[in-house]
Amino acid sequence: MTISVDFTQPLTNDYVKEETFFQSLPLLEIKNLSISSLGENKKEDIKLVKNINFTIKSGEMLGIVGESGSGKSLTACALVGLLPKSLKVTEGQIKLHGRELLNLSEKEMRRLRGNEIAYIFQNYQGSFTPFIKIGNQLIEALRSHRKISKLDAKKKVLIWLERVKLPANQVFTSYPYQLSGGQLQRAALAAALMFQPFLIVADEPTTALDVLTSENILDLLVELQKEYNCAVLLISHNLNHVLKRTDSIAVMYGGQIVERGLTNEIRKNPIHPYTKLLLQARPVLSRVVPEKLVVIPGEPGLVAEQGCAFALRCPKSFKKCSILPKMQSVGDSQWVACHAADLEADYTNASS
Amino acid sequence: MLSLVRKRLLQLVIVVFILSIFTFGLMKLAPGDPVMSILNADEMMVTEANQANLRSDLGFDQPVYVQYGKWMHGLLKLDLGTSYMSGKPVWNEMMERLPITLQLTTGVLLVMFSISLPLGIISARYPRKWPDQISRILALIGASIPSFWLGLMLIYLFALKLQILPSNGMGSFAQMILPTFTLGFSLAAVYSRLIRAGLIECFSKDYIQAGRARGVKEWRILWVHAFRAALLPVITVFGLSMGSLLGGAVVIEILFSWPGLGSMAVDAIFNRDYPVIQGYVLLTGVFVVVVNLLVDLSYYLIDPRIKQGKEGSN
Amino acid sequence: MRFVYAFFIKTYLTVMKMKNWPPTALLGLILLITIVLITAIGPLLIPNDPYMANMAERLSSPSLTYPFGTDHMGRCIFSRIVIGSQATLGITVLVITTVILIGIPIGLVSGYIGGRVDSIVMRLADGLIALPEFILAIAIAGFLGPSLTNLMISVVLVKWISYTRVVRGIVLSEREKEYVLAARVGGCTTWRIITRHLLPQIISPVLVLATLDVGKIILIISSLSYLGLGAQPPAPEWGAMLSDGRPYFQTFPELMIYPGMAIFIVVLSCNLIGEGLRDKLGEKSI
Repeated sequence: MTISVDFTQPLTNDYVKEETFFQSLPLLEIKNLSISSLGENKKEDIKLVKNINFTIKSGEMLGIVGESGSGKSLTACALVGLLPKSLKVTEGQIKLHGRELLNLSEKEMRRLRGNEIAYIFQNYQGSFTPFIKIGNQLIEALRSHRKISKLDAKKKVLIWLERVKLPANQVFTSYPYQLSGGQLQRAALAAALMFQPFLIVADEPTTALDVLTSENILDLLVELQKEYNCAVLLISHNLNHVLKRTDSIAVMYGGQIVERGLTNEIRKNPIHPYTKLLLQARPVLSRVVPEKLVVIPGEPGLVAEQGCAFALRCPKSFKKCSILPKMQSVGDSQWVACHAADLEADYTNASS
Repeated sequence: MLSLVRKRLLQLVIVVFILSIFTFGLMKLAPGDPVMSILNADEMMVTEANQANLRSDLGFDQPVYVQYGKWMHGLLKLDLGTSYMSGKPVWNEMMERLPITLQLTTGVLLVMFSISLPLGIISARYPRKWPDQISRILALIGASIPSFWLGLMLIYLFALKLQILPSNGMGSFAQMILPTFTLGFSLAAVYSRLIRAGLIECFSKDYIQAGRARGVKEWRILWVHAFRAALLPVITVFGLSMGSLLGGAVVIEILFSWPGLGSMAVDAIFNRDYPVIQGYVLLTGVFVVVVNLLVDLSYYLIDPRIKQGKEGSN
Repeated sequence: MRFVYAFFIKTYLTVMKMKNWPPTALLGLILLITIVLITAIGPLLIPNDPYMANMAERLSSPSLTYPFGTDHMGRCIFSRIVIGSQATLGITVLVITTVILIGIPIGLVSGYIGGRVDSIVMRLADGLIALPEFILAIAIAGFLGPSLTNLMISVVLVKWISYTRVVRGIVLSEREKEYVLAARVGGCTTWRIITRHLLPQIISPVLVLATLDVGKIILIISSLSYLGLGAQPPAPEWGAMLSDGRPYFQTFPELMIYPGMAIFIVVLSCNLIGEGLRDKLGEKSI
């Protein structure tokens, strides 16, 4: 905790991190966001992310779960303005502290990346340029945002490598290929936390790592997040990780958020059939594993073109599902987009 | 690293050996009698005795393998024989002309890179936009235009019509412009596409996204992160295209009357001056292999992973 | 002969199956077809005898009788260019066919059978690859003496090796694959495996390589002819025409412009087709 004092250094922009002021407001607000791929003549082609809404408060950890292709990573890329050129945000707003990010110039966006929103990638081998030493890359990142001497930057980098429990001096002079996956992801974590950003986007940060290492890394992430009170957007298809660590969850299917709310609520009372199936399909170690795990029917990635995206695979689908269901609140802190939600709620109540 | 140098040096020896057999064999297969052509060139009365004397002077009366052995022995001492025409040692003659060819090729490389680098980078940044399309058209033209014809057209335009540049000769800067541009343009056209392809591939790499996500400035992304990786394919092709460069230099030297190695070789061909042709082919071959060796070594400086891989296995 | 038939029929089928040609490749195809047609009916088109000198009308400007004017001997430039296309295209087709017919079988044998054949071929390739194509062609033309036949021999000697390399590379990677092993287990003869199973794999890379090479070969031949190492006067070969006209270039540039244009257009159309094929068949490496 003592070290953290060293880092309340002057920021390059006058965007001072006054947490008390912002605490009540959502840190990040995403409203009605849609992302489409662009066809030949720059026209909208396929809508990949469809009108999604969510908010993150400072210090909150939000998990986004969903199968691959559900638009999780695209949403995250859109946050930092790094969508591939063939894709485009077609509607909606992304607000950080009430500031609209989609209107920012490329230069302003660059200043914001790393400094205010950090990004941790799934592919740890791709986090660092292969022919530049880790230390130099971290110094480069620091000096892109702060006017500090190379020596000061080096000191700071070494401290941060230590903070993420790496052998600092050795890692500093290593090339990326000389480190293990876990070490690289820790270094990536150091690169992300170095600026004490408001928000860290962790895009499946541990999917490519083994079970034990990924637990360690996520624990470290949670620990440091608490210490510096930054928000984390954790994207994962590992439901266990998400359930264990996040404060709230958003479940995505086919580019839509089908259910979101506090993690505890959703764990106890999932309403959307997809969420339910996801929870059932997960082996729970504390219980005896049933002979056969529940399998979500249908082909993964099968998305209905109209109405509810999950309708084609949903065991409870009916006529009305061909119309897009609206997000409706269930209880105080849970929202769901499903026509069967009312019936479901009744059903759950009756059975319990 | 050392093992690679050793391997490449061994390859160099093999290549020189094959080349020596190749050129020696061709010389023996060549129609016509070099003895007659030497004697004819002296414009003397050719007698049987004259012929026999010269034949034994040149060692042509001995079996082929003895001739090859002698020739090879001389080769190791950089003795490539004497030119039939000038009577000077081939090695000396080549060394006199080498600086001229080097001057030409260096100029060509400068022109080539100063055209292809900006063009390649711009078209990689804006793929399928108009700068890219223009560079694509330029590349097609460059690959399709005969360089000697381009040279002729440039001479016509700049030396004859506009009269702002000299049409031939060498020495001054103005005389460098047309020859270097003629060959440089054709090569640059091909290169800009290679640089473009290399850069586009690099820009799609994850670590470029990661660098951007850390907020690294765009020019640093381009010059520090992407460019180094893009250099690998560019350098590889640079090594391979040494051939087009040297081959092109022959035509350009003739066209602009530069007394370099290329024009020496062409003169030698018309005069059936076989030792000179032989020397030229050998020198060019060795040069290309050495350049490719340097290209291989430069990979180490660019990408530390290669060093690791190679040294780890040895 | 069966091998040759198999190769050409498969090539034809590969090209016919392709859909959605890029417009630039189509343009190249149309250009090339036009040029081939002109070459074929050339003798009917030409207004004058391409060999007939007429010193009274030397170096005359374009007129109705002489569409592109006349050269230093008073010969019709237009007629010479039209007839010259026979030489250029004929030589190129002959060279590329020979190169393919030599390169592919050696590559197949070297890759599939391996052993001593393979190592000899590869050492030879190493030696030849160090010599720039153009220099090697100069050397061979130089030793054998300047003539069109020797020029063709030298280009074939230079070019076959790259086809052998490509084919050998593909065969080496394919021969361990399950389908080849399955065929062997099924009792296929080596001959049948090579012609039935391996040959189709090499068609598209060879096709791409060949179309792009046609342009290069035309350039090499015309450059060497320009240096005086190829077609000899008075043959109306384009490169030789340029070489012929060089002394009169200052006073009469038309002598140089038209033959050069002809070379440029033919090479351009081949390159357009080659690029289209490469994009279509996905041979990025060549």
